[in-house]
Amino acid sequence: MSCKDLDAVMSDLARDQMMDARLRETALAHAASCTSCAARLADSRALTAGLRAAASDALAEAPARVEAALVAAFRAHQLESRVPPVGSISAWPRRWLYLAAGVAATALIVITISLTVSRDQAVTTPIQQDARQSTPANPEPPSATPGIEKNVVSSDTPRRKRRLAVSKRAERSKPGSDYSDASSGAEIATDFFPLVNRESLRELDSGHLVRVELPRSALMSFGLPINIERANERIKADVVVGQDGLARAIRFVR
Amino acid sequence: MTLQTTPSDLDLLRLMSAGDEHAFTTLYRRRQGGVYRFALQMSGSHAVAEDVTQEVFMFLIREAERYDPSRGSMAAYLYGIARNLVLRRFERDRLLVPFAETDADNTTVHPAMIAGDDPLGDLTRNEMIGIVRSSILALPAHYREVVVLCELHEMSYAEAANVVGCAVGTVRSRLHRARALLVEKLRAGRDRDSDPEHVNPARCFA
Repeated sequence: MSCKDLDAVMSDLARDQMMDARLRETALAHAASCTSCAARLADSRALTAGLRAAASDALAEAPARVEAALVAAFRAHQLESRVPPVGSISAWPRRWLYLAAGVAATALIVITISLTVSRDQAVTTPIQQDARQSTPANPEPPSATPGIEKNVVSSDTPRRKRRLAVSKRAERSKPGSDYSDASSGAEIATDFFPLVNRESLRELDSGHLVRVELPRSALMSFGLPINIERANERIKADVVVGQDGLARAIRFVR
Repeated sequence: MTLQTTPSDLDLLRLMSAGDEHAFTTLYRRRQGGVYRFALQMSGSHAVAEDVTQEVFMFLIREAERYDPSRGSMAAYLYGIARNLVLRRFERDRLLVPFAETDADNTTVHPAMIAGDDPLGDLTRNEMIGIVRSSILALPAHYREVVVLCELHEMSYAEAANVVGCAVGTVRSRLHRARALLVEKLRAGRDRDSDPEHVNPARCFA
């Protein structure tokens, strides 16, 4: 064994650690024959003795005030919350709670987006239908009342009105839906609401459209929802006036 | 005849988590000494050791469920927390207080001050212990902690590695190096004491 080999096991030898008996004998034999290694081994053993003396002498403990403070803190913590037992099933609900909160938040976002999209579709449907009706490819017969907009006096006006009214009602039934709250510059109009009976409307040969302003509360007369806080505001409406000067139908514009 | 069994640390922790104050105090009294001494031997300061001990058990109160028995013993877990707190304290304070600090309100007599049957032997022994302690405090922290754990707290290499969070071989090599440094310090101190002509000049103007 060389001095370097002895140095590798010096600590274990000086600390009386478990080691291979043959290695130990070889190391001790080298130390007996090498003055330098013998001195280093003696120093290392002296260090071990000093460390063990220091270890056995160290009986210091935390002052009693530390325990008192910790017991008070423990009581306060127990009052704040009941900590679930370690390793028990009841330690898990907090994690599940976080997971459930995440799922609920995701579902809320999805629902909000789907509601927004479907609302936009419901608002644009009547307009698209009006546009489709005015195209040349429209198979519907020409208006019986040339002076009035086609969508008012088309041959299937009552049926289409019902269809559009249903879609409008569906839109209106949604919470927070107030179609008068338009922010875009383009005008969006409702379908015409008849102000007279159907027979009188059929007898209308010609007429003209008059833009009027009405109190928002007038919407209620046609079963449309209004924001009660804005009931005093005025809204625009188009009134179909026949040649006899009688109003036949009305639509609301925003 | 009744057979009394001592509850394990884990049992006490579970009871403590369920709100059992007696379990907490039992666990505290069982483990506080080691934690306190470790912090004291690492820092050399009773005040730091007291703070660290309190913080270790405060953490245990708040985060009891974080202890994983499969990763090591409760003692190693507490030592690990204490180690982190001590090292954080070193980072913050950058200050090492001498081991033999004096407290203004400390009226108790240290056991070392009481003469035993062999006053001269006690004096020599106490002097040697003081030198060893001061030498340990002069070591770099990563050497100091393995000396404290393996030599003063008689932990195995594996236990110390669990506390420190490194490989067993790393603990072994650090301890070997730390012991070599301590031998050098003790030898230098012995040589200085044995030389009556020894003078420690602050500066030579020759």
